[in-house]
Amino acid sequence: MRTQPEPTRRAFLAALPAVTAGLASPAAASQEEVPRWGMLIDTRRCIGCQACTIACSMENVLPEGQFRTSAATYAVTNGKGQTGMSMLPRLCNHCEEPPCIPVCPVGATFKGKDGVVLVDADRCVGCGYCVQACHYEARFINHDTGKADKCTFCSHRVEAGLLPACVETCVGGARVFGDLNDPASTISRRMQAAQGKTSVLKPEAGTRPSVFYIGLDKELNGRVQGASATEMMWRPNQQGA
Amino acid sequence: MNTTVEILGFTREPGWLPWAVQYFFLIGISAAAFFISLPGLAWRHPEWRGVSRRALLAALVCGLTAPVALLADLHQPGRFLNFYLHPNLQSWMAWGSFFIPLYLFGLLLYAWLCLRPQLAGLAREHEAGTRLAKLYRALAYGGHDNRGAIRVAAVLAALGAVLVLLYTGMEVMVVRARPLWNTPLLPPLFAVTAFAGGLGMTALFEALSGHRDSAPLLNRWAARSQWAVLALLAAWLLSAFTGIAPAAAEALASLRGSVSWRVTLGSLVAVSVLTLWVARKRRDSLVLMALLALLGAWLLRWALIMGGQGIPKMGATFRSYYPTLTPDSALGIVGTAGLFLTLYIVLTSFVPWDESTQAAGAAS
Repeated sequence: MRTQPEPTRRAFLAALPAVTAGLASPAAASQEEVPRWGMLIDTRRCIGCQACTIACSMENVLPEGQFRTSAATYAVTNGKGQTGMSMLPRLCNHCEEPPCIPVCPVGATFKGKDGVVLVDADRCVGCGYCVQACHYEARFINHDTGKADKCTFCSHRVEAGLLPACVETCVGGARVFGDLNDPASTISRRMQAAQGKTSVLKPEAGTRPSVFYIGLDKELNGRVQGASATEMMWRPNQQGA
Repeated sequence: MNTTVEILGFTREPGWLPWAVQYFFLIGISAAAFFISLPGLAWRHPEWRGVSRRALLAALVCGLTAPVALLADLHQPGRFLNFYLHPNLQSWMAWGSFFIPLYLFGLLLYAWLCLRPQLAGLAREHEAGTRLAKLYRALAYGGHDNRGAIRVAAVLAALGAVLVLLYTGMEVMVVRARPLWNTPLLPPLFAVTAFAGGLGMTALFEALSGHRDSAPLLNRWAARSQWAVLALLAAWLLSAFTGIAPAAAEALASLRGSVSWRVTLGSLVAVSVLTLWVARKRRDSLVLMALLALLGAWLLRWALIMGGQGIPKMGATFRSYYPTLTPDSALGIVGTAGLFLTLYIVLTSFVPWDESTQAAGAAS
């Protein structure tokens, strides 16, 4: 038996009693096999509502204008002149080969046994080297703390048997969080069902992300060759929140 | 073929602020100026004796200012202790935290050994018993001109300077996530522009102290350094156009649509060509060459570090950096300049940097 519930909303509600029991006996956790957390994002289900962006900001008390996750929105026009909307939710990829770890001069960034890449805020000096090294613009220097900040897969919630805030709030159920080591987990089953049609951001970077996508447009999986409607961008510092 | 418009994107602020540009600029100039001081002070080459003294002054002023800018970039200066309590030796930045004190210790030791005879001379010039005379006498510590010790200190400082030039280039070069930085040409480009800036700063100090007879010598070396800068810029462009270096090609592709980047790259080449032209055509002039060489060295670092961080890694939106009147932006640059000026005034007020004083100190 796992200490964490099956990580979908429905499974989460169904497993609430188990969560309570699990919390009551934390010692049992040490005997369990270590999970490897990952996320699967079905871009076809994302409607770009930014509920994930706001839920993350509220949960992690982020400074105004700084985000650990967001959903970029693109208007893609094909050769026939037909235009459609594409969404790309982004967050820390919790890479298997994270380039942010070797550059950290004080070893503040580390990867836990569960695959989650975290920052030891007591040790971090705010030098910003990891911000440069990240291929995915997942990191930033927090205005309030002056230290490196990023998505933690809401590790404080996951340890308590809850889902990450972005997953729990996702309107379209686009984000699936779970244990990649458990073949019976929803994320593993969904990835199996996708029959290898999942992809990752910037595979050429060789970072082996733990965040996978279904329906990811190849033209959007890194730096995008296209125009930017910058005048429509939300920039709280310039336009007010 | 699809066309894409980013309707809603999220750009990141730069992780490295103008403090970093100031640091890279000043520490590079300091290391280069130290090397310029060697022919006259360590090897006693007559042609270089005067120039080398002003070069040592430039190395000291820049070398003592640079780490302050670096500490300021940490948002809380006391955090530097973690570099020594928890070093991660896989990181070039961690190595840098050891190279900087090595270089500064070597530089200060070398400067002190070079200045001892002069300090003894100053102690004799001042009325015996005054505080200043006592201070000069204590600092002179006998005033012996020990060439062997100077050379040993020069080797130590030279090792530190080479390591500082190496790590500042490598630290930026290894960032694969930024193709503009990820080129093996970057460390030599930083080093060569540091030498161009070091020559410029030395020339400026020469002009400020009224020593214009060294202008042909400095202009000769300034022209050589600008040829090297232009050669490295051309090599980068060639590697990008031909696709020999995939990262350079990717960087160039990402900049192709940006007018501001065309202006920036054009400005870099133009400043270098102009410095070269001035150095060759106005061999007896110092100030214009000095200012242009310093501008070129600073502009390259600003364009690469601040401009480079504005190129999107994800999405389509460039984020231009505009300096603001805040301590971590324009006021930081002004503050660094203020510290630089203060150190220049203090060092030139209490230690004369011309040859006649040195000769007097050595003779007596």
